[in-house]
Amino acid sequence: MSIASTANPPRVGAAVEPAAHEDRTAFSFLLVAGLFFVVSGLVAIIIAAKLQMPTLLGNVSWLTYGRLRPIHTNGMLFGWLLAADMGLCYYLVPRLCGVKLWSEKLGLATLALWIVIILGAVVTLAMGMNQGLEYAELPLWLDVLVTLAWVMFGVNIFGTIATRKYTQMYVSLWYIMAAILWTAFVYIVGNFGTLFTSGVNQANLNWFYVHNAVGLIFTPLGLALGYYYIPKAAETPLYSHRLSMIGFWSLAFVYVWTGAHHMLHGPISQWLQTVAILFSVMLMIPVWTLVWNFLATMKGQWHQLQDNVPIKFLMAGTVFYLLTCFQGPMHSLRTVNAIVSKTDWIVGHAHMAVLGAFSFFAVAGAYYSVPRMLGTRLHSQKMANASFWLWLIGGLSFFVSLWIGGFLQGLQWNDPSIPFIDTVKFMAPFWTVRLLGGTLMFVGILLFFWNLLMTYTGRHERPAVS
Amino acid sequence: MLKKVDKSSALFVVAAVVFFWIGGLLTTVAPPMLDKSWAKPAPALKDYATLAKEGDAHAAQVMEGRAIYVAEGCWYCHTQQTRTIEADTIRSGWRDVPSPVSTPDEFVYDQPHMFGTRRVGPDLSRVGGKYDAQWHATHFRDPRSLVPGSAMPPFPWIANDPQKLDALIAYIQSLGRSKDWRPEHDYEE
Ligand code: HEC
Repeated sequence: MSIASTANPPRVGAAVEPAAHEDRTAFSFLLVAGLFFVVSGLVAIIIAAKLQMPTLLGNVSWLTYGRLRPIHTNGMLFGWLLAADMGLCYYLVPRLCGVKLWSEKLGLATLALWIVIILGAVVTLAMGMNQGLEYAELPLWLDVLVTLAWVMFGVNIFGTIATRKYTQMYVSLWYIMAAILWTAFVYIVGNFGTLFTSGVNQANLNWFYVHNAVGLIFTPLGLALGYYYIPKAAETPLYSHRLSMIGFWSLAFVYVWTGAHHMLHGPISQWLQTVAILFSVMLMIPVWTLVWNFLATMKGQWHQLQDNVPIKFLMAGTVFYLLTCFQGPMHSLRTVNAIVSKTDWIVGHAHMAVLGAFSFFAVAGAYYSVPRMLGTRLHSQKMANASFWLWLIGGLSFFVSLWIGGFLQGLQWNDPSIPFIDTVKFMAPFWTVRLLGGTLMFVGILLFFWNLLMTYTGRHERPAVS
Repeated sequence: MLKKVDKSSALFVVAAVVFFWIGGLLTTVAPPMLDKSWAKPAPALKDYATLAKEGDAHAAQVMEGRAIYVAEGCWYCHTQQTRTIEADTIRSGWRDVPSPVSTPDEFVYDQPHMFGTRRVGPDLSRVGGKYDAQWHATHFRDPRSLVPGSAMPPFPWIANDPQKLDALIAYIQSLGRSKDWRPEHDYEE
């Protein structure tokens, strides 16, 4: 049996993995990503605390809110999530192709470059070398290095796919290939195209980039993981290949149009705002087909939620994905936008996408794959399970408090008789709950990283049970 | 068609890129060509970068202040856009006079743009002339001394450096001034 006949990822234990995978690149990427997860999480807690204690570390210029915040966002997006996604791609692409990774050497070189980039980002941002564009803060020379690293990653993945043994490409492969190509364009527009523009024109390119960084980089990579790991971890076939095709091609067409919804009611052409709204609403098509496919795959398997940790993460991630992608189109409606835009509601929404949905998928992949990469078992299932509950409870209290607080603050802003500062003070209890939720999640991150590390150091004591 | 794309990576790549570029080009390259207002500066808008190059000392100060605003990440907490929402115009306004909404022609020379996404603090698109220089100096040293409960951090390394402080204040006072909307023209210096 091969994926060619079933259009499913090869089953665990079936004799379809002729190549002996080295997985050195894959594992090292994940471990480094885990480390950056810890660091970015720590920065997150500091800046969350600063909102309520503005003088905290207040005399040190490089620890000010405005310098730590981009370290947090860039650290989470590029240091943790993208690196984790890349690590998992190095794992699953060879398996879906039935061949070894094209080049482990190139893979490790890519990792070395990635580490240089992240360290360079931390130092330059702390020094206040900020280009002033969201998610595109890094100086030009780092942008060039990122592009180079991306090309190295792309060559390795496409090289593996070009030498594949299975002709039919499983849907995860489409998402990964598309993500590599789209990312290249999106990144170039956002980091180089913006150099030659100014004002509203530049803002439009900036939002094209910011929106599609999530929509056409993290979304397809995250969904590739979901498509691979849900059937794998639950040991059950994917519900529908046809649905996955509809989902993929509608995403490919619809997502890219929506960037201007970040400027609704702002100084940008009305018709462009309307286009962005229409396409934002259409986003429901790819989202709902995908979620349907994921949930239907679990039919008859729901009992696995009891003790299968990767499945817990994958299903919670799917629900967060559905919610976040329901909020998105709703925010783009003008009446709703007039309330929630620029408030903490949006912060809650963004965290549910990147942390709730896509990080959950990546973490599920790590818990599932790392033991297999090392030929061992996970150091501690209990710890993995604890990290799930910490993230779920911490995440929900974080998201929900910001939604409630942000929504109410938005209503207050729309009543100009309320002085602005009162609407700031009003957020205090919500910010406290957010900080507590964030702290729980940080403990979850620590457990996750520790678990990976111990799985590695103890790998010889716990041989995998076949 | 879809079946073929499923098996041929080359065909797949072409299709995925074409799908992407339809929306990509129509939403990035087309809009500035269709809407000329994006590139047409407001009559009273000053091009501080060019003025500074020509030796205008005040313009150089504004540019230096702008660079500080960018570097310190003020824009993560402050937007610079009075939106087409009534409450925005009143909050940006002065006494009982609502301010005009922001229009593209006010931002033609902004590089990088500072529209922002999040309002931890108030919008700054019409803050130029709202307070005097002394107010800002005190505010940057210790925001809570003027506005108890503020979430804005203190900036002692700016407040203690007269050149940086004057530059940042010059920039803040320049914001929104290409429109002269106060009936009494009573802007603070
Ligand atoms: C952590 C978020 C935060 C950061 C960073 C921040 N501010 Fe603020 N800012 C606020 C808040 C909250 C207020 C409202 C309370 C007050 O006036 O202090 C405010 C108020 C202001 C005001 C008064 C606006 C008005 O209309 O009353 C100005 C001017 C200002 N900030 C400028 C700046 C500058 C310049 C920087 C960067 C050097 C900066 N802020 C950084 C949160 C922030």
